[in-house]
Amino acid sequence: MIPPSLRLTARNLIINTDPGTLLFLIGLPSFYLIVLGLMFQALIPNVFFEGHSISYAQFLSPGVVAMQPFIAGSIGGSMLWSDRRWGMFEQLLVGPFHRIDYLLGIIYVSMIFSVGGAMLMFLVSYLLTGFVIHYVVNIILIILVLLVSSILFTSLFLVLSVFIRTIQTYNTVTMFIFFILDFASSAFYPINTRTPIGLRIISYANPLTYIVDSVRDMMFASLNRSDLIYVMIVVVLSALFFIFAALSYRKAKI
Amino acid sequence: MLEKVIEVDHLRQTYDGRNFVVDDVSFYVSKGEIYGLLGKNGAGKTTTIRTMTTILPVHYGKVRILGMDVSENAERIRKRIGVVLQNESFDFASVERNLKVYGMLWDVPREVLKARIEEVLEVFDLSSLRKVRAMVLSGGQKKRLQVAREFLHDMDLLFLDEPTVGLDPIMRRSVLNYIRDKARKGLTVLYTTQIMEEADYLCDRIAIMNKGKIVAEGTSSDLKAKYGDLKTIHVIISGELDYNSLKVKFPEDVIVDNDEIRIVSKNVEDILPDLIIYLKARGIRIERISVEESSLDDVFLKVVS
Repeated sequence: MIPPSLRLTARNLIINTDPGTLLFLIGLPSFYLIVLGLMFQALIPNVFFEGHSISYAQFLSPGVVAMQPFIAGSIGGSMLWSDRRWGMFEQLLVGPFHRIDYLLGIIYVSMIFSVGGAMLMFLVSYLLTGFVIHYVVNIILIILVLLVSSILFTSLFLVLSVFIRTIQTYNTVTMFIFFILDFASSAFYPINTRTPIGLRIISYANPLTYIVDSVRDMMFASLNRSDLIYVMIVVVLSALFFIFAALSYRKAKI
Repeated sequence: MLEKVIEVDHLRQTYDGRNFVVDDVSFYVSKGEIYGLLGKNGAGKTTTIRTMTTILPVHYGKVRILGMDVSENAERIRKRIGVVLQNESFDFASVERNLKVYGMLWDVPREVLKARIEEVLEVFDLSSLRKVRAMVLSGGQKKRLQVAREFLHDMDLLFLDEPTVGLDPIMRRSVLNYIRDKARKGLTVLYTTQIMEEADYLCDRIAIMNKGKIVAEGTSSDLKAKYGDLKTIHVIISGELDYNSLKVKFPEDVIVDNDEIRIVSKNVEDILPDLIIYLKARGIRIERISVEESSLDDVFLKVVS
């Protein structure tokens, strides 16, 4: 017998995997990597990172990989919204599941989207910059970070989905959060002592910064103690957001 | 003694803590029985169903489904029931994919599912629509899909909350016969509707709800017998009629619907001559007149008015 949360995961994959979803998942980060990576390369020929001189496109690669849980999370949130809109949320609540299975079904799909999207970003990055990760263990570590991050961002968007009543508002809020988290993180530029103090504080209040930094270090095989702290921060935030999402979801109006 | 599949005992439900939308409701449903819950909009039928199907918590009273308390065994109960909700619900996919995914959610073995999908496509006349996306179906077609998919999985108890809304008479009869056939094989059904002839045709016992309470309960024959000395006068008229003065003159249950007057009363023999005189005096022409034995419709009107 297949566990209920996996049946719900399969259902979400079958129902929610359409070209539009995949375009959003893959197209936007690819656009960032290809267009921004190559365009800014003319302006920033090389970035000095952890003792290496790397191209800007290579510097950007971990940023777009780390964006995947965020994008997958927003897709996960829209699944709850869509199920409420089309009456399936109530129908599934009277189905052969525990309530938490529904939540897990969405989080698992986000994890699959997140890791799948990241693998494609690695491929795009390889085709664009010729960059490869030499250590298998680092790939595994990156996948683990992405999985945990998926819980964080899916939980965040599930909370939004519970409280937002229209898809227009949900999309607007998603895009707003997307731009703030994306651009106030280390995805596009390093956060260092030359970054204005106010923006530095905002960046380090942004979980995406910790995910990007740890993924970047794992990609360039320069893991250090701060990465462990970053990962711990992501784990703790993910646990908190998951609890918050589970509590909010209990209040979800049908 | 027949096994009780549903036992509702002094159930009281409230959304705001002050007003009870379900107020001291008690009833039971035995195995293999089709039990009809009738009532106007807002009578409390859907809240009662939502409580029995574990969507809403029990506020006061006790509800036991399949011998289990809903407050303690919600998940176990949900594995053994089927629910067709009043509101439409479907996945963003074709009719066939909706059925496949729904069967998969219920963990129906692949071969069994395949056969059952073909069966319900046939019974619910959806075969020609199998590749059509559910969202472009008409209201009646969506309802058929919603009812059909519930028969893909095994269950002991089926809740049907106004399942025939939007269906044409032929399809409606076909769906009712299918449900009745399933009940004969042991399925217990709780059925809500606002169409009295449906309840009359399908249900073994009927409860009429009004303002959160059960105001009448019994078999269709019981109810007609209890309120059965009622008869209905139907008069088709032409001419302007003052409804208020008619209501004053005949304070029985008078309904005027366009050019038809309906009066439900025990004293048809006394009322009828007076009615004819009343209409003639106002220059209203009587096109047709008939007196009928009371139907469940009349019982319902009498009970909830």
